[in-house]
Amino acid sequence: MPPFRDDHILLIAPGSTCTLAQLGLPESFTPPKVRIPSRMFPGVEEGQYLPNKIHEVKEGQELLLGNGEVMTAGPGGKPYKKRKVGEANSKPSTTAQTSTSSGAAKKPTGDAKPADAKGDTAMADAADEAETHDDDGDEEGNDDDEDQEMNGTKDKDEDGADGKIYYDDDFDEEGAIWCMEQGRIVNWECFFALLLHVHEQINPTFHTPILMISQPCWTCTDKERICQFIFEKIKAPGFCMMDAAAAISAAYGIPNSLIIDIGYEKTDITAIVEYDIQELGRTTIPVGGNSLNLHLQKLLPHLSEDEIEQLKHSNICEILPAGIPIPGEEDIERDALLLPPEISTVGMGGVLPPKAPEEEGNEEEEEGVTNIAAIVASGKTQEYLAKKEKEKADKKAGIAAGEKRLPNYKREKNTFSFVEKVQEQVLGEGKEDNPIDVHDGERMDVDSAPAPSGEPKSAVEAPTSSGADASTADPQSNPDAEKAKQGPSFMESMFSATKEDDDAKRAQDKALRREEKKRQEAAQSGEKRKEIEVGTERFKAAGGGILEAIADAAHRVVSSVDEISKRGDCWDNLIIAGNGCRLRGFKDALVNAITAKYQVSPSSSGMFTSEIPSNIPTPSGTGTNTPQPSAFSSQQPNALLLQAAANNAAAAAASSHHHSSSAHYPQTPSSLKVAKIPEYFPEWKDAGFEECVFLGAQLGAKIYFVADQGLNKGFVTRADYNSQGPQAIHNI
Amino acid sequence: MASTPQASQVLPSTTKPAELEYGGDEISALVLDPGTNTTRCGFAGEDTPKTCVPTYYGIIPDPETPKYFGSLKIGENAVNSVIDGMEIRNPMNEGIVENWEVTTDIWRHCIEYKLSSRVEEHPLLITEPIWNPLKNRERTTEVVFEDFGVPAYFLVKSAVCESFANSKPSSLVIDVGHAYTSVTPVVDGIPLRKGSERTPLAGQHLTTQLRHQFTEMGIRMTPWLMLKAKTTYTDLTNMPALRSRDYGFQPHASFIEYQQDRFIHEFKESLSETWPEPRTFPTDINNVGDNFRPFADKSYEFPDGYQRRFGIDRCLAPESLFNPSLSPKPFTGDTPKGIAEMIKDSVDHLDADIRANMLNNIVVVGATSLLYRFNERLSQELTTMFPGPRVKLQSSGQTPERKYSAWLGGSILASCGAFHQLWISKQEYDEIGANIIERRAK
Repeated sequence: MPPFRDDHILLIAPGSTCTLAQLGLPESFTPPKVRIPSRMFPGVEEGQYLPNKIHEVKEGQELLLGNGEVMTAGPGGKPYKKRKVGEANSKPSTTAQTSTSSGAAKKPTGDAKPADAKGDTAMADAADEAETHDDDGDEEGNDDDEDQEMNGTKDKDEDGADGKIYYDDDFDEEGAIWCMEQGRIVNWECFFALLLHVHEQINPTFHTPILMISQPCWTCTDKERICQFIFEKIKAPGFCMMDAAAAISAAYGIPNSLIIDIGYEKTDITAIVEYDIQELGRTTIPVGGNSLNLHLQKLLPHLSEDEIEQLKHSNICEILPAGIPIPGEEDIERDALLLPPEISTVGMGGVLPPKAPEEEGNEEEEEGVTNIAAIVASGKTQEYLAKKEKEKADKKAGIAAGEKRLPNYKREKNTFSFVEKVQEQVLGEGKEDNPIDVHDGERMDVDSAPAPSGEPKSAVEAPTSSGADASTADPQSNPDAEKAKQGPSFMESMFSATKEDDDAKRAQDKALRREEKKRQEAAQSGEKRKEIEVGTERFKAAGGGILEAIADAAHRVVSSVDEISKRGDCWDNLIIAGNGCRLRGFKDALVNAITAKYQVSPSSSGMFTSEIPSNIPTPSGTGTNTPQPSAFSSQQPNALLLQAAANNAAAAAASSHHHSSSAHYPQTPSSLKVAKIPEYFPEWKDAGFEECVFLGAQLGAKIYFVADQGLNKGFVTRADYNSQGPQAIHNI
Repeated sequence: MASTPQASQVLPSTTKPAELEYGGDEISALVLDPGTNTTRCGFAGEDTPKTCVPTYYGIIPDPETPKYFGSLKIGENAVNSVIDGMEIRNPMNEGIVENWEVTTDIWRHCIEYKLSSRVEEHPLLITEPIWNPLKNRERTTEVVFEDFGVPAYFLVKSAVCESFANSKPSSLVIDVGHAYTSVTPVVDGIPLRKGSERTPLAGQHLTTQLRHQFTEMGIRMTPWLMLKAKTTYTDLTNMPALRSRDYGFQPHASFIEYQQDRFIHEFKESLSETWPEPRTFPTDINNVGDNFRPFADKSYEFPDGYQRRFGIDRCLAPESLFNPSLSPKPFTGDTPKGIAEMIKDSVDHLDADIRANMLNNIVVVGATSLLYRFNERLSQELTTMFPGPRVKLQSSGQTPERKYSAWLGGSILASCGAFHQLWISKQEYDEIGANIIERRAK
């Protein structure tokens, strides 16, 4: 048989929001080339799924497209008119489908930097797209997510007979069916349609084997179904599945590791021992990138889902490292080891509805930890706030002057620019909800104090676009007026500060550069942008017990590893992957969360691996004595514990004749390290290693299909499938 | 490689492969091994269960709710999440199912959620302890056919499975599990009721003892989930403030206890050690003789950061498995016999002609037998008790094989061809009713 070639291997990594795919293995492994949202739209016929939203337009009907164009079906089913909404005098009244932005992007891609792949997404279809759209610049500036979604052939399936036309709308996400939820495949028909769509997009030769990344929660039955589909519908000559955790582990090339794969709505935690997945202990918790959104949404109730998503992606949203106080919040609110976002309001969210703790207020104070929730609950809010206010007043002058030029983590508020879709109908509503009186200093202080009152936070919305559309100007007149009162200088300094800030950080943060570029682009294209200012909530995205939940699950997973001796190794090779962890500072915060709670201090575990004889003072090689025998009668803790730790080296030498308990292993984790990112994949450096699952897939494909060619049964061949059926997938 | 038969069938890349539909549909059996601590489930023929779900479940009591009187939280994540008012309960009592409604749900969770297998498509093999009463076996049968609608099913004694898992048709199976330590003679694949014994001296007993021991020492046993961060300290008289996590409510005591079990479990794994020799353990560990063999200290750090060195006291709880009178926490009723005595009782009940065979084929399984030096001690005890015949202990060195041996044996049984004639089919159940189990599987 002709061996499989590097460039004839199809890799597919289905995800809850985004499916990654690539044909062929390049010389140097690259981030995925094709990125398709994991959703399909119900087709015209029952049971049919199409990649794009289909509008059915009757003759003479007007259709409002998601990108703000209006199309009217002419006689004979020909789309004869296209015009911009802005130019239209009246909005189409007979639209069968509404395409509001609220309906769209209900499930934004969990990817924080979709634009990175944008350049790579040079698919054949992009050309099509360019042809069909005369106003391409406009399109380009659109929401990134949207951009990725258009594999966008604008087919016009015409059906002249009954005067209907079907029009593919690339921008409308309403009615989309997302085939996966938390990694589980919830709609099989849709999932298969998606696979088929991916396959058609890439259109490989018949001699193209497929490697698919499987989600940890896929069961045997799931895999069999997929295997059956691949062989019977797609007719691949070879197929194999690679577990996502295995792929990540392969990308890092570490035998023992703990993999935390943070996705959109779920986090998979898997321990790998000797390249072997610890199937039994692994767990999937329903916490992921979207939890961050939901939590931010709770903190910033006035922002729309889109705005939250973009806030999360913006460079101002980060999790501060331990020790750096959230600006405007006092240090006393935090223990030294504690994570910034753990404070107060945040702490109670997540799994549980907050409930006033009656009895705990006093306790807390005794312990010297200021618990805002307790204070509020105990009705001392006023006093506390007054106190805070006073403290604040001293600082305020300084802050007000200097803040604008400070780096993000020192500013109490910062702005990010929200890119709006050109045609945004909910714009007006969004604003009416927000009291815009937040500009006075008093209010700012209250806001920054993490009172759980959940008051709407300040939001400055500044349309910076050069030409705000006339249609949207009306609802904005109100904020404009507000701004006028504040004086233009305020806004300007704010804006320029952001810019300067950006410049300063440019080197380290590529996202910024893009932002800048987008801003310019937008300015040219007349696209709408607004600056949204957010307070310290932007540092609290990971609150609400998200980190804790992951940390606890990670501990459970490692504790379930059967080989106790390997647990330490797992902790020492922590791999945090998945797009959910792209948020700045998230990884560090997660490591901190685990360390703070679970790490065993070295004096207590690691150093005592070798035992110290305690009953008999043993003279050691160096002449120092090991600790004196401690009387068991005394229930006192051993005072020599720490000293013993210091003498540990000597003790280890002395105890060599006592090494009876070789099968005994110390408590874990005594140390915690994030695994080093492999350096020999230059292309991946820029893209970030969050999607390293795909790198693993490439490595895997190279080994299974090219290097090994099936000698070790690395994949299911067609012959295997013919003889064994879908179960063949389990025999590899 | 091009000459291999499979490879030669692969079509050239230009030709479209012919339409080939796979017709056959092999159905694999499911194996379910319900235990007090965890419920193991997976496909027959595999060497480890696919899923291992805590048998403990959470419940938020609500007398209004029909059937369960509360909303159930099943599964590892659910049980470990802090929910106001959630109690942790266990549907098993004395190693057998007591609360059938919940157990059914847990089984269903294992099969349908964790394995996402449609339960009505697979034959189901369930293990049971030898002391499972007829009423319970009939109930299992009903549940399996009525609620799950399985096509075929069979109940196997877990001791038989464990014996098979260690590739022995005849053996004396000592299963040191969570709730019970049991000893069951199995002869040619048939468990003997005569000579089978059990004692609650097992994992749960250890946990209870350790909890008691820690309480006596005055240790603050705050579990991880109730803490924000730890502060390392060694002085119990001068404890630093607890940096507790405020959830806004006090989780139920049973939840705290369940969470405490997590670090007690870790203590068992990393520190607990069995005193290797019988009858030499000092009766009073606070006053050990001068000629006493020195025993290595080990240090443990509790979740709140308290570090303590444990010396011989880390042997105390395991010692109580063999010598229950030494238990730190006294027994409420009669003090049971130690594990070794229980085995002696069992062997004494056996017919003389199989006794030697049994003693020569002792199989030790169960996760608690993973206690450091447990087997060493057991072997010594038995050798002292039975000086005449050769006592030979067999125990797998692989942790999963020890932990999941009952499941593994079930997996072997269910996948072997000869076993297929034993299945009780739905049809038979429809004809005869739940009592079929007593006729078909003694």
